[in-house]
Amino acid sequence: MLTLSRRRLLLSLAASPLAAAPTVARAGDGPILLRDLYEKDRSFSALATGLEGRRISVEGFMAPPLRAESSFFVLTRRPMAVCPFCNDAADWPADIVAIYTKRQVRVIAFNIPIAVDGRLELGTYKDPDLGFVSRVRLVDAVYDRI
Amino acid sequence: MTIRSFPLTLAGMFLATGAFAQVELTQQDSQWFTDGESRIDELAAIQPNTGKAKNVILFIADGNGVGTNYATRLWVGQQEGGMGEDYVLPQEAFPNLALVKTYTTNGQTPDSAPTASAMNTGVKSRNGTINVDDAGAYDSCDAAANAGLTTFSEIVSDMGKSVGVVTTARVTHATPAAVYAKTANRDWEDNTGLPENCAQKDIAAQLVDAVDAGTVDFVMGGGRRHFLPNGITDDEGAEGRRTDDRNLIEEIEGKGWQYVWNSDTASQIDNSKPVLGLFEASHMQYEEDRDGEPTLAEMTEMAINNLSDNDDGFYLQVEAGRVDHANHAGNLHRAVTDGAAFADAIEQAVSMVDPEETLIIVTADHEHAIAFNGYCGRGTPITGLCYQVDDNGTQHTGEPNVGLDGKPYTAAGYLNGVGSVMREVVPEEAEATHENVDGQAETSAEAEAADAPAQPEYTGSRPDLTQEEATDVDYLQQALIPMTSETHSGEDVALMANGPWSHLFRGVMEQNMIFHVMNYAVNAE
Repeated sequence: MLTLSRRRLLLSLAASPLAAAPTVARAGDGPILLRDLYEKDRSFSALATGLEGRRISVEGFMAPPLRAESSFFVLTRRPMAVCPFCNDAADWPADIVAIYTKRQVRVIAFNIPIAVDGRLELGTYKDPDLGFVSRVRLVDAVYDRI
Repeated sequence: MTIRSFPLTLAGMFLATGAFAQVELTQQDSQWFTDGESRIDELAAIQPNTGKAKNVILFIADGNGVGTNYATRLWVGQQEGGMGEDYVLPQEAFPNLALVKTYTTNGQTPDSAPTASAMNTGVKSRNGTINVDDAGAYDSCDAAANAGLTTFSEIVSDMGKSVGVVTTARVTHATPAAVYAKTANRDWEDNTGLPENCAQKDIAAQLVDAVDAGTVDFVMGGGRRHFLPNGITDDEGAEGRRTDDRNLIEEIEGKGWQYVWNSDTASQIDNSKPVLGLFEASHMQYEEDRDGEPTLAEMTEMAINNLSDNDDGFYLQVEAGRVDHANHAGNLHRAVTDGAAFADAIEQAVSMVDPEETLIIVTADHEHAIAFNGYCGRGTPITGLCYQVDDNGTQHTGEPNVGLDGKPYTAAGYLNGVGSVMREVVPEEAEATHENVDGQAETSAEAEAADAPAQPEYTGSRPDLTQEEATDVDYLQQALIPMTSETHSGEDVALMANGPWSHLFRGVMEQNMIFHVMNYAVNAE
């Protein structure tokens, strides 16, 4: 345990009660993939609308965060190294989830798969501080590597 | 002639004069053998077409070198129920083939700007520039004005032909832009990137000029945001990027063009008018994700129908722009599904034009850092795990090959990119580990050294992998060097061609020769 990082310790502490909690919804037998929340025409899936307001666990990747100290990051379906916040030429994919975390975000590299547990919010929302417009959010979220 | 080769040559002559009948060929009933003989008959019957090319269609799948084309061949063959290796893509049935050297004047590894430029002007040039001579510096506003090159579209429109550009990328992206624009920087897609008082216009604005000049008649792809002013939202709610208050879509519509923006509006095209189709704010969707947008084959069909109204013929450049993007992302699934859409577009064109008067060229602008593992058995799914060869059967055993680490690996991989098995050790981890080293004060020299900004540390091992994971549509094939985006490579690409003077494509050629064959074919007497 000597080499266990502070971040990992915090995350595992935060995640462990959730992992045991039966209230965290998962799709069928497996976890919810980010793509399960959207239809091809970018509308919300039946799964997403059915789970609105509930705590769910979604797998994806952490896009490079906008700010160093923040409680916000973007969850992407595939690893995304070029951050559209910092590179004007890059575009956000249509199917992303905005994550508002319980605690300050500890960065996990963009290409490491993570699972995020949080309460699902649907509908267009413009963040008053960041100006970031999202359609799907997980709030009060905790996360860890898969 | 060496002494050693002399008797062999004699033997060859003997065989050529009918020795087959005297030697019993034990393999003569093999289907491989009889198929080979039939193919020889077909090949021997092919005559060079030395007529004048009325039409030229240049198909470019961006980033679709020999390796990526190979992956697409297997993918399509496997989707159609076969093992894949023996499948023939429509372009692979063309009679003429060359390997193309894609280096540029300053790049062993090219980008898509000077490669498209070489095809459209006949000369190689500098990475990052489009239709600008090598003497014109990259990023220099004067370069395009002073060193701009005459394009194939300018030449053929002067001959009375129509010109079309179709792409799944933004129409202002490097490959399509090479049909109508000249720029010292490929990123100047709208005015926001241009330096102040720049002597050249941005790429989207140059499309308007090409409309005025009559050097383009049909345009389809993505990229609405570069045509609309900031503050104006497009048909799907995305905002324009221009800061010069110009609405280029309205400007082009005002010149007698029709504008379409989705499958429905595109289906109502009036072929008596030129067409601007912009189906996305940025690039069009990958084929895997496509919804409400035409396929590359449908856009190709619309272009040929529209341009064929001109009795003098046409030049059409069709780009599968996102094979490249999928490779950059390290996601082979989307590279091959967009590669399959490219093949469909070629098949569509072949079915619509007369090969006697239409030169069709199929190539790529460059390859990627894609590579293939062995030893995989026949029918190994090309995006999935490399299954073992069955020593006594034909199809693979279904058992994955493993590395010395005991873990399976995929048939395809990348030398670098987002799918790297190396992962950054995040600073928090490094710091925390350091603090926990017994007996070290936080203010020690070691601790201070650890706190100083340093090269990020990467480490890793290959994750274990199931076939379900590897063949997932979002899977990124394993890569070695960690990069934000997988890179191009300088490896040769293939070129396959049919129609007038397509037999001039042979051997290993420079990429700029593509222009010269096209130019020769349209001017042949």
